Amino acid sequence: MSKGVFMDFDGYQEVADAVEVSRKQGVNFTANRDLADQYIKRLHPPRMRLRVTDIFEETASTKTLRFVAEDPPLPPFQAGQYIALAVEVDGVRTSRPYSMASPPNQLGFYDITVRRVEDGVVSNFLLDRVKRGDVLESSGPVGEFYHNPIFHKQTMVCIAGGCGITPFMSMIREILECGLDRTVHLFYGNKDLDDVIFHETFVWLSERFENFHYYPVIEDGPDGYDGCRGFITGKLVKEMLGDLEDKTYYLCGPRAMYDFCLPELEGLGIPKSRLRREAYGTPADITKDAGWPEGVKRNDTVTVKVKGKGEIPARAGEPLLVALEKAGLLVPALCRSGECSMCRVKLLAGRVFQPPGVLLRKSDRQFGYIHSCAAYPLEELEISL
Amino acid sequence: MADYDVVVVGAGNAGMTASAAMAKKGLKVLLLEKHNIPGGCGTSFCRGRFEFEVALHQLSGMGAPENPGPLRMMLGELGVIDDLEFVEIPELFRVVMPGTIDVRFETDKAQVIAELQSHFPKEKEGIEKFFDLVFAFSTQMLSVFYFNDPDATREKYPILYEYGFKTCEEVLDSFFSDPLLKAVVSVYWGYLGLTPNRLSFAYLAILYFSFIEFKAYHLKGGSQAMSNAIVNKFLSYGGEVRLNCGAAKIEVGDSGVTAVLTEHGERISTRYVLSNASPVATYLQLLDPEHVPDQVHREMRGRSLSMSGFAMYMGLDCEHGELGIQDSTSFVMSNTEIGDKAYDKMRQRHVEDDLMVLSCYNIANPEASPKGTSQLNLVTLKFGEPWLRLPPTDYFREKYRSADNMLRTLEKVYPGIRDRIEEVEVATPLTHMRYLGHPAGSIYGFEQQMKDSLFFQPGGQSPIKGLYFASGWSGDPGFQPTLEAGKAAAKSILKELGA
Repeated sequence: MSKGVFMDFDGYQEVADAVEVSRKQGVNFTANRDLADQYIKRLHPPRMRLRVTDIFEETASTKTLRFVAEDPPLPPFQAGQYIALAVEVDGVRTSRPYSMASPPNQLGFYDITVRRVEDGVVSNFLLDRVKRGDVLESSGPVGEFYHNPIFHKQTMVCIAGGCGITPFMSMIREILECGLDRTVHLFYGNKDLDDVIFHETFVWLSERFENFHYYPVIEDGPDGYDGCRGFITGKLVKEMLGDLEDKTYYLCGPRAMYDFCLPELEGLGIPKSRLRREAYGTPADITKDAGWPEGVKRNDTVTVKVKGKGEIPARAGEPLLVALEKAGLLVPALCRSGECSMCRVKLLAGRVFQPPGVLLRKSDRQFGYIHSCAAYPLEELEISL
Repeated sequence: MADYDVVVVGAGNAGMTASAAMAKKGLKVLLLEKHNIPGGCGTSFCRGRFEFEVALHQLSGMGAPENPGPLRMMLGELGVIDDLEFVEIPELFRVVMPGTIDVRFETDKAQVIAELQSHFPKEKEGIEKFFDLVFAFSTQMLSVFYFNDPDATREKYPILYEYGFKTCEEVLDSFFSDPLLKAVVSVYWGYLGLTPNRLSFAYLAILYFSFIEFKAYHLKGGSQAMSNAIVNKFLSYGGEVRLNCGAAKIEVGDSGVTAVLTEHGERISTRYVLSNASPVATYLQLLDPEHVPDQVHREMRGRSLSMSGFAMYMGLDCEHGELGIQDSTSFVMSNTEIGDKAYDKMRQRHVEDDLMVLSCYNIANPEASPKGTSQLNLVTLKFGEPWLRLPPTDYFREKYRSADNMLRTLEKVYPGIRDRIEEVEVATPLTHMRYLGHPAGSIYGFEQQMKDSLFFQPGGQSPIKGLYFASGWSGDPGFQPTLEAGKAAAKSILKELGA
């Protein structure tokens, strides 16, 4: 290496002098060392401790839990985003994503609304066992399901099913409370009229605000019910909206609703760019998926070798992430829908089933990485965390 | 006996290549990464149908397979080249200032000269002389600093000696008179990270030279593919990676480094630590103050932080050609500022009339997004500090406001682009702070001005025995330099260990 050659270049002395001057008058990095970290934590805390201050019964199957920060303040979020709430149920630590139902224009508390799910370990735990004063841990607010002012239209068509109403509740409240220049058409599908979350509130709001339109759609409407019945069809949407243009469509609900509504909306000619869809977990029974391999049963048990951690049992019909959690092996997880990639692990040997819609990076596929929340063990596996 | 020969802190470009190179030579290496995926800047994320490239625009140093450049050779030595599919970027770039000028450069010196001469006929001679100088300077620079000519003298390398410490603007002023021409020729500053009145001419010259002579490349799967491939090799050489596991402290004893403590409280003993984190974070957050000698503070105090970036990642629901996008790289100028006015502009949060770079990945790589769609990246340079003065509750509003301003400028060049957006993600300087852990979200490490660049960079050594650095902070920033810096640091440690 021709060390020091540059010292003979024209202008060297000026630069060398500049170095000396700046060493005397330069930046004091020590004074600012934690500034950015503290600021980022304020916006995106990796973990929060939340205390339950209130529990409201919404319907027979649904409650709203109100949380305040144990270490305030609560971070800002975008209406529609969620937190991954961590719980320990019967010795197993796991988490679930819950959208905030409260609007982001107040950060005194976050509300999450939970509906009872058959065999729902976490929902039943939250509904039956969590009480006022309990402290739970969660992620900071995350998620991609929100109104993006850069390219979303000012008229929002929100299509919700059951508990999928919560992100819309946050959006609607923000729009109406802050007087935002946006219009909302809410189509809200439910099985029974008496189990419609926030029904009275929506009726009340739609009577008072011209920019909020509410269309409850009841699958089995009771006798005398004069609202919409059945499912949220393309025909119904077209009938209620008239003009479909200049609107952005948002979907949040159970998987069965997507399977039904997405083709209906595509049938109306709504392009992907105006169709937003919230992640909504994995199917209750993955073995019913069209691509599920024949001969593998839901309750088939396989052994998973986790490099450096030993062997754990897993069920074919259960996401790998759940088997890891049951064995006490913690993998960070947020969306639990195969999208956010937090629970990425490396598959060293064996086959897994990955349902369509998992957002795996191309090169992750090439080098054998999987999203453990949406990967089902079909045979003995070897993985590394 | 230490747990590991070397612990590498951070799986960015340099951290990964260093780890792979050392593991290949039989060292027991542990690579720590606080995120759930390796790569640092060399990464991607998925939204809807799109996988967005985060940071790689144009990869230098590759050269063609039959005439390999230093980076291609190095990736070959690491054993990753066959796992990757590189694609040549067919053109140099487009510069457009709506209503004023629109030029397209190919990777051909004669074409660049002819294209400029057709727009600036009065400066015909200066244009030719300038590019001759660019090539002559670069050739001399390579002879002395890449091929290490032991007999370098002023007589042998007069151009290098004369221009080695000149700024871009000084050189532009001596060849051109039209401010528009100066702005067009030096527009690469939007890549290099400093306004031409402060930026070393050497960087501009080398960039033109290397992209024209050796072409620029991208790769299928984007930079994440390269990161995954390097880590994959590292694992196959017996290396260990821990993801979701940041370093919390580097322990130092009387005879140098003794251990690394992880964020989970585990103590890992080692006598060598290679920090891929910034020296600022390493010295001030990972080391106890009593172990940091005064000379480190004195030296660091003299340095300036480079700017961060404001970026938009866009997935369009149409092919790029439909909007008239024909170039992998387009610089969009709103004025001809190349001096302190432009520099001061970067110190403001507000985006308006800033120089912007639009990258379209589908031109070199049709697989960059699904059929019938396209993947774009729009970026402008901004200092991070003003974002730290924003009330956190205003953050989202400000982020969208700035993005909206940027998009409005872009719409002047590509009308209708907003209506074709299917996915968009915005990264602010705070995003860079969050994911990179760099002070002020600096994406170029220390600033590219003379006193902090070229021969005045901190380098990979430290006064603490056993502590080494490799990143865009120790040497030049960018993919090629950082990938190479890792390899060089590995060499120093291997030498020290006699391995």
